[in-house]
Amino acid sequence: MKQNYDFKIDKIKDLSSEEINLRKKNLELFYQTGFPNKKDEDWKFSDLNSILRNNFNKIVNNDFLPSQTEFKIISEFEHNFISLFNGKLISKDFSYEEKNKILIENFNYKNELSLDVKNSLYFLNNALATGGFSLEISKNYKLKKPLVVYNNFSNSLKEKMVNYKNSIVLNENSELNIINYINNSSKENFMVNILENIKIKKDSSLNNFLINNSKCNGYFYKYLKSDLEKNSNFKNYFLSSGLKFNKLDIEINLNEENSNSSIFSALNLMNNEHQEIKTRINHNTPNCHSYQKVKKVLNDESKGVYQGKIFVKKIAQKTDAYQLSKALILDDAAEFDAKPELEIYADDVKCSHGSTSGSIDLNSIHYLKSRGIPEKEAYQMLINGFLCEILEKLSEGKIKNFLKEKLERQINGY
Amino acid sequence: MLNIKNLEATIDNKHILKGLNLNIKPGEVHAIMGPNGSGKSTLANVLSGKNGYEIKGDIKYNGESLSELSTEERAQKGVFLAFQYPLEIPGVNTNTFLRTSLNSVRKAQGEKELDTLTFLKLIKEKASELGIDEKFLSRQLNVGFSGGEKKKNEILQMKLLQPKLSILDETDSGLDIDALRIVADGVNSYKNKENAFLIITHYQRLLDYIKPDYVHVLSEGKIIKTGNADLGVQLEKTGYSNIV
Repeated sequence: MKQNYDFKIDKIKDLSSEEINLRKKNLELFYQTGFPNKKDEDWKFSDLNSILRNNFNKIVNNDFLPSQTEFKIISEFEHNFISLFNGKLISKDFSYEEKNKILIENFNYKNELSLDVKNSLYFLNNALATGGFSLEISKNYKLKKPLVVYNNFSNSLKEKMVNYKNSIVLNENSELNIINYINNSSKENFMVNILENIKIKKDSSLNNFLINNSKCNGYFYKYLKSDLEKNSNFKNYFLSSGLKFNKLDIEINLNEENSNSSIFSALNLMNNEHQEIKTRINHNTPNCHSYQKVKKVLNDESKGVYQGKIFVKKIAQKTDAYQLSKALILDDAAEFDAKPELEIYADDVKCSHGSTSGSIDLNSIHYLKSRGIPEKEAYQMLINGFLCEILEKLSEGKIKNFLKEKLERQINGY
Repeated sequence: MLNIKNLEATIDNKHILKGLNLNIKPGEVHAIMGPNGSGKSTLANVLSGKNGYEIKGDIKYNGESLSELSTEERAQKGVFLAFQYPLEIPGVNTNTFLRTSLNSVRKAQGEKELDTLTFLKLIKEKASELGIDEKFLSRQLNVGFSGGEKKKNEILQMKLLQPKLSILDETDSGLDIDALRIVADGVNSYKNKENAFLIITHYQRLLDYIKPDYVHVLSEGKIIKTGNADLGVQLEKTGYSNIV
């Protein structure tokens, strides 16, 4: 079969010969298998190869030159920001914070193109990545305002692929709220492949949000790897409805005692949108907590996938791990696949998992209608209720209101 | 106000109502009593427009054929059903629900919708009349409410929407004496010449507090006996077996 991609290292400027060789090696490894397909267990519900084949003629890479672009700043709450344009860092503003407490720079690709993960998109990222950022928060520093990372993409990315890497380090006893904000409403098809590495050191906490702001024809893949030290916290909220395709591949390593991680997600998928959340939570040490709650509403011919794995090492006694996935299927043509997995080698642990899917409760609809609420609004209320519940544990404030308002817009189809 | 003629209802091939006749005028309180399985809740469901029933016969509400109206239209025109088992709706805030409901009804009746502040003032007033703690209003609709709290919430909705015809489906079940009195007071204070009540119940208990003008005995899908309030008292003593 004819390949529907053509990637070239020489499009990337200013590389050392050593780097070129390493990137070429990665590209060769990618070409051996191509994009992942359903034969790969990790991709069995999201056959990326055939999805791309059906939606792209020829995907190419390009070394996108940074350029200034205007974008709308969020006005609902005060924040610091980093702005990425097609993956490249173009501006930053930390005026709410103390100087010298935050290090932000372009991602440095030297020594970061290792071959340790056997995943063809990882190889491809190593081969083609440019741009991205490195962020480091100093010891004992708690940011006064949240940080918004504006992920802007130009409207001329037709059939192009953007690859980049980010790195985030929270040093001891630091705190950060980071909001990844995807902003693109282009009708053109393009692909984005991001590798992000997060290190949360002792006594630190990171709240990580992902919000998509408008309907977009982008195909997104993000591999997020995080390592947690003692007494650290890592909370994730994923509200990425509206992307044509999105797979979040999340690895959380609870490496030292009393570290906590959570993943909350609420997705409303329409038309033929396809989103997968795949998690692997490694309890590598005793007394750690992990929590996952993933909710999806599936309309039309959309497809929602959840693959969640909790791995508990033999030494990881007193682990407390929870995982729940729930789907509301509103159309016969919609599909939901869930694969919850527990792999436990310790004997004194509390682990539970569950997965449910069903249609909307007609008795509840009748109840709302019997109070004069029109049918369409009754459905909307139940869907809102089902998804907004994800935000319940978030502390009250401007960010919560902002997320709620965005989520409601996503539910209403923008 | 309500004229039911020869009403039959079938669900899943079970023939439940088999020719029921009932006339209710404004200002009247009617009670329907009857043993389990006689069709009491089916009557409530059919009047509220619940899907799944095959209906024959005629139901006129203020001269309009009720069967041709959707559930929400019935509510907008003043028909209210207090559910036997009010539903728990996770994620839906009670206040938001109450305001959406009231404004849907007001909109349909050509009245101005209430803004949040006016609504909150109104709902606080109505809730305190029923001894409902304000904090219930900011909780998820009926989630984790006790049986009594759910029933009080139904009466709160009734008083908020100000229906012309209120159907109370076993509102007394699951209530302790204090809650029963509060619910009954709520109903009595709303009763006037313009509106009517249809109270569906197993027991005389609630009728000690809300005095009916008529008591009907429903058995096997038909009203087999009608009397005044004394009939309820008599049933309590002798049971249904002497009549049925």
